[in-house]
Amino acid sequence: MAYLRALREQRRGIVVLLGWSVLEGVPALLSGRLVGLAVDRGFAAGRPWVGVGWLLVLAAVAVLGGFGLRQVFMRLGAVIEPLRDALVREVVRGVLHAGSHTRQPDASAVARITRHVEVVRDATAGVLVQARALLVTTAAALVGLAATVSSLAWLVILPVIAALVLFGLLLPSLARGQRRLVMADEQAASVAGTAFLGVRDVVAVGGSGHALRDVMAQVDRQASATVRMAFATALRGVVIALGGFAPLVLLLLSAPGMVRAGTLTTGEVLGAVVYLSTSVQPALRGLADTTSTVVLRLVVALRRLAEAAPPIAPVGGDAVPDGYEVGLRGVTFGWSASAEPVVRSLDLVLPEGSHLAVVGPSGIGKSTLAGLVTGLVEPQAGVVCFGGVPVRSVVPEVRHERIALVPQETYLFTGTVRENLALFAPSASDAALLEAVAAVGASDLVARLGGLAGTVGHAGGGLSGGEAQLLAAARVYASAADVVILDEATSSLDPAAEAVVEQAFAARGGTLIVIAHRLSSALRADLVLLMDGGPPLLGSHTDLLATSALYRDLMAAWQPTPIAR
Amino acid sequence: MLLSVVRRDPRWLLLALNALPVTAAGLLLPTALASAVDMALAGRLDGGTVLWLVGLAGVEVLGDAIGVVLAASITARGAAWLRRRLTEHLLALGHPARFEAGDAVSRLTGDSGIAGGVAVLVVDLGISALTAAGAVTALALLDWRLAVVFLLSVPLAALLVRSHLRLTAADVATYQEVSGELSARLVDAVGGLRTIAASGRADQEAERVLRPLPRLSAAGVGMWHTQARMIWRAGLLLPAVELAVLTAAGFGVVAGRLSVGDVLATLGYVALGMGVVGQATLLTALQRARASAERLEEVLSTPVPPTGFPGYAASGEVELSGVSVPGALHDVDLTVPAGAFVAVVGRSGSGKSALAAVIGGLARPSAGRVRRGGSVGYAFERPALVGTTVADAVRYGTSLDHDDVVAACRAAQVHDVVVRLPEGYRTPMSAAPMSGGEAQRLGLARAFVRDPAVLVLDDATASLDMVTESTVERAVESALPGRTRVVVTHRAATARRADFVVWLDDGRVRAVGPHADLWDDDEYRAVFG
Repeated sequence: MAYLRALREQRRGIVVLLGWSVLEGVPALLSGRLVGLAVDRGFAAGRPWVGVGWLLVLAAVAVLGGFGLRQVFMRLGAVIEPLRDALVREVVRGVLHAGSHTRQPDASAVARITRHVEVVRDATAGVLVQARALLVTTAAALVGLAATVSSLAWLVILPVIAALVLFGLLLPSLARGQRRLVMADEQAASVAGTAFLGVRDVVAVGGSGHALRDVMAQVDRQASATVRMAFATALRGVVIALGGFAPLVLLLLSAPGMVRAGTLTTGEVLGAVVYLSTSVQPALRGLADTTSTVVLRLVVALRRLAEAAPPIAPVGGDAVPDGYEVGLRGVTFGWSASAEPVVRSLDLVLPEGSHLAVVGPSGIGKSTLAGLVTGLVEPQAGVVCFGGVPVRSVVPEVRHERIALVPQETYLFTGTVRENLALFAPSASDAALLEAVAAVGASDLVARLGGLAGTVGHAGGGLSGGEAQLLAAARVYASAADVVILDEATSSLDPAAEAVVEQAFAARGGTLIVIAHRLSSALRADLVLLMDGGPPLLGSHTDLLATSALYRDLMAAWQPTPIAR
Repeated sequence: MLLSVVRRDPRWLLLALNALPVTAAGLLLPTALASAVDMALAGRLDGGTVLWLVGLAGVEVLGDAIGVVLAASITARGAAWLRRRLTEHLLALGHPARFEAGDAVSRLTGDSGIAGGVAVLVVDLGISALTAAGAVTALALLDWRLAVVFLLSVPLAALLVRSHLRLTAADVATYQEVSGELSARLVDAVGGLRTIAASGRADQEAERVLRPLPRLSAAGVGMWHTQARMIWRAGLLLPAVELAVLTAAGFGVVAGRLSVGDVLATLGYVALGMGVVGQATLLTALQRARASAERLEEVLSTPVPPTGFPGYAASGEVELSGVSVPGALHDVDLTVPAGAFVAVVGRSGSGKSALAAVIGGLARPSAGRVRRGGSVGYAFERPALVGTTVADAVRYGTSLDHDDVVAACRAAQVHDVVVRLPEGYRTPMSAAPMSGGEAQRLGLARAFVRDPAVLVLDDATASLDMVTESTVERAVESALPGRTRVVVTHRAATARRADFVVWLDDGRVRAVGPHADLWDDDEYRAVFG
């Protein structure tokens, strides 16, 4: 797992940090002993200045411990920040690799993921600072205790260890409770967010009662998760308190006899009680209160992160395509085994240099066809070939270089126009890029942006949907792809600009597949695939006009008819 | 507001009642421990002394456990009550939303939770004060000098803790800024996920997103260093106070005023007294609860618009007289007979959506009268599909059965899409991949399923290709025959099919008449681009 791997990479830093924490444990180790000495040799012996002297030693030790803690914090940055870097890296990679799945995270999901990373950062620091300090304190105090009252050592140490073990056993159920709580919170926020965001629709359809019911169901779940969590927390508190208190009672029960027998001095009893009441008990309580909360937050955030960015499963093999003919044989695909297939038994061969238009109502599976041809989506039955070999077994680099998809939603990033245009052709010359820009009719746009050196902001800031699509088209035009798929890639352009883009790609050479937003695309293509939910129909525009009533209807409905004057 | 939360659930009294013996036990424990130690040092085993100690500890442990559960339950119930009030009020405020959705959610999840815990906070604060006073009193009872030494060191404590709250603003600001930059870059890349997946550039694009990461690291390291300098001072606080009081106690032992056990008791009370310093956060929390309560109050005190709108007319008829909506409509008169198909056209910003909204009952005119006969089915260009599953989103706000939902989806030409989803009609909305056109058709189905007397379609077929649009139109005519239809559109073809067209220009009715008659006007043709 990424987190543990990253932790392992930081083991040097962690070892240094733990080294300093030994210093931090010194006060806990010596406090009881020094208080005991101050009383035994000083105050109880009638020599107060000797007692003050021992107390000053205690002060010096406390300063030393404080310095240790300071050093721990100074080193913390060197461990935590690289760890956070590694997590961010993993998450970003995971999210971007998940692109081939059907579900895509939205902006709020991205924000949530970022928050989880910050929780992991803070909680890891919390574990390294608090949990470590408390464990060091407990251990040091127990060692000091054992050294002070060696004859009673096991009597006082065993209950503490038993409590710690029991506490460890409780952790998994606590983590489950915490996870339920986080999920309930997120779910409530998400349901309420949907309702508030859609309040226009909620009101318009008279669904206020429905919305309130939905939100309150989540709020009630949230409340009951909180209370259930509190029961677990209370139990944890009892276990820890007993573990801290039992040794004290055992010590006080066995001490009188030993004091009478002269095997235990005043200072030793006092020292032991000081260890237990000022170091062990507070440390244990801290462990129960803060630390377990921190650990739980950490565990839950890590699990949510793992869900947000699932492990990457690369697709590909070592097959080398011969040419770039695209072939589909008996291809069937549906979103699940039970759902109606989106594409059923599709046969299609596109020789090199074909120009295909795919038409049909939106949502009927045209985009899925693009996913199948690019190898992003695996058919349930049948095979998709590229250059005579199954597309998903082609060497990934070759597949990505030779098949290009231009989707409806454009990808522009903050950077220069050149960086954006040369994404698929990093070594392309300025002249080649400008030629691509001119071919798709984006020259004016690029000039307005300040030429190739101009900049593009976040989310293509300042560009309209159509302008962003023009840049995306120019980018693929400049690439070396043999097969270009325009998946409603010109939907935000006006019909004239759309024609310019399509004609540019048709004249560019190679195979062109246009998933049509407008029926005019069909008129420009050599071959038309009609998908309408039934068996797909394939033919030229004139063939289909002659043989398919459906196609005739489509065209008739679309083509502008004269207006009665 | 906070008072009402406290008054509503009187269990805070129980919490306080439970906390009192716990506090008392906590205050008595150091002396009980002292006498037990003195007993042990004297070589005696006195059952009563030990039992007293164990009893006090038992009261504290059990009481704490009860307190935890009680506090959580009080907070949870208070928060849930506030959340219900808030949700009810936000929904009653309706459209247009007075509070942005993200902001409303943060008030619902964050502020309600904080304000809901106010009773527990107040009890905790009271108990803290009580404990501190008790600890100082106990020290004074042991030896007044101890109390004096302790009280003298407290201002010092406060000073050090205050300095702990100062953080270097520069690093924090940089850290937040770079985090935001990273998120923005990630959102950009997520928007282009299909491009990235198809081109196999996930790794390279991840690197691009991560470019500002080193700056984030540097700021983070800076924050830790600042903390190190502060922690170091704060960490010396307790030992310093402990030593001062211990020294005073030592002299008390020498002078015979205190026993050895009393030294332990002293340490115990110092710890209890210092514990209050840590409770200073309770005051901050109370401050936050008040701020949260104000944010809730801001919502709850926003007046709800009156209901009972629009007025009644004969079934299927729509009548507007002198209707004005500030910034959108001016003195609009319009009568739509039952069963008519009316297209509303105009350039963008001419008031088409406002006209749809007053007819649909979504917006209230500032002047004039709107009357509508019977229920309305309202669909939008960009519908917000609320609901848990696809079927739930269609039947939202009604209790119609599955067959009605399927029939409506068939009429809206979206049934074929729904059955191809992973779980068909039971697919959760969050797991339903949907294009703009598909969402629009579900929005249409949601309007159809209500079997309304009047259909208001506000550009609700804009993302559909014209074939689908005309199929939907035919399906509506057969599924919902004779319904009045008010259709906002940009398409000449739709306007041509309408019985008559209402042409809006700058919030006023420019003309009403059949499309063919209006078409002669150049400006009218310009409306369609």
